[in-house]
Amino acid sequence: MRARPDLGQGAVAILVGLLGFTAVLQVRGEDEDLLNRARRADLIQILDGLTVRGDQLERQVAELEADRRELASGADSEQASLEQTATLARQLAVLAGTAAATGPGIVVTVNDPAGSLPARALFSAVQELRSAGAEAIEIAGADDQQARVVASTYVVDDGSGVEVDGVHLEAPYRFTVIGEPQALTEAMNFPQGLVDTVTEGGGRVTVTQDDEVVVDAVHESTPAEYAVPAPEEDAG
Amino acid sequence: MIPALGLLLGIVAGLVFDVSVPLALQPYLPIAVVAALDAVFGGLRAVMDGVFDDKVFVVSFVANVLIAAFIVFLGDQLGVGAQLSTAVIVVLGIRIFTNVATIRRHLFRA
Repeated sequence: MRARPDLGQGAVAILVGLLGFTAVLQVRGEDEDLLNRARRADLIQILDGLTVRGDQLERQVAELEADRRELASGADSEQASLEQTATLARQLAVLAGTAAATGPGIVVTVNDPAGSLPARALFSAVQELRSAGAEAIEIAGADDQQARVVASTYVVDDGSGVEVDGVHLEAPYRFTVIGEPQALTEAMNFPQGLVDTVTEGGGRVTVTQDDEVVVDAVHESTPAEYAVPAPEEDAG
Repeated sequence: MIPALGLLLGIVAGLVFDVSVPLALQPYLPIAVVAALDAVFGGLRAVMDGVFDDKVFVVSFVANVLIAAFIVFLGDQLGVGAQLSTAVIVVLGIRIFTNVATIRRHLFRA
């Protein structure tokens, strides 16, 4: 009689223990596997929600990518205009004489043993070269003295030679000119041009055409003291 | 005394061993737990009434759990699993409340 109640109590204990065990498992698993235990209807609802959210995010991605492309192309065009500006700056530097230049052109050597060649003749030679489309001009004298010819260049007589932009030059003079070689050569041979003038004074002029001449004299650019750019609206 | 020990042991085992519930059983476990709770409260009430019987408790416990799980399984097969499990919970909840009310009357005479 003693064994029976114990057996019954044992069975009750086992069942109640099982209940405790599964209840604890259930409570602990609750937060982990919400989706596993969800029913079909719930899952469909969750899926719908996720689909809508995914669509929203995809639209957002598309918008952001469009923004990115816009910004990238903006950076590209900025880069392009920067390069354009740099190229323009180099071209202007050649024009202003602040940078060395190279290209096809002529070298004109003027021998003036009498020393009678006036500055006026040299200056008119420069004018003739310019009218023939010279793009960069350099005048060199004896002893490697040289001057770049720019917009503000002046040529005056100076004792035994000439002074070009403050540099004293003596014969023989050597013009290095970049431009169309044939046109420049013809400019030198104008009637009353440099060749005529020098030959009359007993000197001799040699003109050499070349595919590649180098103008490496550089004009020291000084900021304008008086002239400032006029405001844009007044200019027109 | 022994059943209380068993409950304690079960809870401790559940806390110590990190057993994950098999996927196939996951929809039925919560229902089974509630059904078992119903049986336990019914047993407690029987103890209070002085008519507790081991055999009755064991049979009602197992039957409760199996029937509750079976009803939910049937509901899942019919496509009304969510509604049926709600119904089972409601019925079991009412039974638990009734049993607890009787226990309370025994304990507090009110």
